[in-house]
Amino acid sequence: MTALLSMSAVTGGYGDTDILENVSMHVDHNEIVVIVGPNGAGKSTAMKAVFGLLNVRGGSIVFDGDDITKWVPNRIVQRGICYVPQVDNIFREMSIHENLEMGAFLKTGDLSASYDRVYELFPDLKERRKTLAGSLSGGQRQMVAMGRALMLDPKLLLLDEPTAGLSPRYMEQIFQICRDVRDTGVAILLVEQHAKQALAFADRGYVLASGQNRHEGSGADLLADREVAEMFLGG
Amino acid sequence: MGTLELLNYYVIPGIVLGSIYALGAVGITLVFAILRYAHLAHGDLATLGAFLGLAVVTAFGLPPLVALPVAMIGTAAVAVGIDKVFYEHLRERPKIVTVMASLGIALMVRSVVQVIWGVDSESYVRGIVRPEDYFGLRIKDREIYTVLFMIVLVGVLQLFLSKSKWGKAMRAMSDNPNLALLSGIDNRKVVMLTWIIAGALCAAAGVFLGINTELKSMMGWHMLLPMFAAAILGGVGRVEGAVLGGLIVGIAEEMSVLVLPSEYKAGMAFAILLIMLLVRPTGLLRGKVL
Repeated sequence: MTALLSMSAVTGGYGDTDILENVSMHVDHNEIVVIVGPNGAGKSTAMKAVFGLLNVRGGSIVFDGDDITKWVPNRIVQRGICYVPQVDNIFREMSIHENLEMGAFLKTGDLSASYDRVYELFPDLKERRKTLAGSLSGGQRQMVAMGRALMLDPKLLLLDEPTAGLSPRYMEQIFQICRDVRDTGVAILLVEQHAKQALAFADRGYVLASGQNRHEGSGADLLADREVAEMFLGG
Repeated sequence: MGTLELLNYYVIPGIVLGSIYALGAVGITLVFAILRYAHLAHGDLATLGAFLGLAVVTAFGLPPLVALPVAMIGTAAVAVGIDKVFYEHLRERPKIVTVMASLGIALMVRSVVQVIWGVDSESYVRGIVRPEDYFGLRIKDREIYTVLFMIVLVGVLQLFLSKSKWGKAMRAMSDNPNLALLSGIDNRKVVMLTWIIAGALCAAAGVFLGINTELKSMMGWHMLLPMFAAAILGGVGRVEGAVLGGLIVGIAEEMSVLVLPSEYKAGMAFAILLIMLLVRPTGLLRGKVL
């Protein structure tokens, strides 16, 4: 079976400066793939390239049989990739339910199945559906942000540092939700600062440094790799 | 001075004037929240709305309230047109460019009004209207329906913003424009809707000012400062705040005559604007920081 998403030798950046150099990675169906690496390694940039937020000057990005390298975000969303930015990823002055409704803006017809699915994944949110999203804790906000992105039933979910600033307890919870989401048939590509924990939970991982591929493999293999451990995981 | 006298001569006229300011301030606050710039042509659009109403009144002999919907639709169309022809091309530039452009638009709209309708004072209906007596409160009919119409129009707008899909899209765009775009919300449609609403409410402000006073080519321009003061006082982006702000500015202007010479009445709005920006720039209801 071909990969759901494959980036081949992608080079590009913002404006005229290249941040990524020949980066290649792929995500299979029903797989959680994590990108780790030191600060400034181009982790988030690699993810933004998938979502059409980057000037891609070389290489190609193929999703589910379509070459999406030059597509605009709007079209990519409709094709089945949803993106959760690291910051400002909720509508603060709207209720939880309205946040989900905005996530499904492009969808016509009955949304009740989508609401049910998201509320099943995030039971906490269902109880507080009328609460303003801006009044929630960091972990719950992240859930709203993921819920919003899941409303369009994407095939691939992009998460930019979903656990940034969260307590270990919430981090575990977010990781568990990622597994639950994967088990509903959605592949996940995420960028993580907490490399150790992320590699332990993901199916596969990529280590980026200075905008280039350094290592790739299963989470367990990368964790066991001495060089990876020394470079990024603090020994 | 007795309570009745205070109410009759200061508070009631203040509420009426404040309701008119509120209609304009709601549009200003929406444009601020969604397009993120101060729209200086807002007052002159109100003038245009008032005179469009006059055209209907004189051409068909209709009462001004019947002409109101025509004025609202006409001004909304002009507002959308101005956006398409001018502001749309400046969207990627720094906001100050659009602010200055809107000042130019203000002068253009005013000139058009002066060319068509002249510079003399006009009125919808000739003659003197006597106020009715309500348990000592002296209120004119037109004052009652000015306030009622403001409440109905703002109420309908609030319902639209809180219940309808596109109303929520407007709030989403105001709340977090990047995320709204990531969610697939069509920016151009939201902008167009904003101008339709702002233009229509602007026309209502102009028509009601004309109904309660008289029509002059400078009438809207003179309302610009109080309308901005109202929007900022209430908190930018807050519709209910703009109404509250409008009423406070209107009442404050009328009451200022008690302590200041009446020539300084217009200065009240300026004083409120200045104090709010210094003391609490988010406004009474915590709007956006400018």
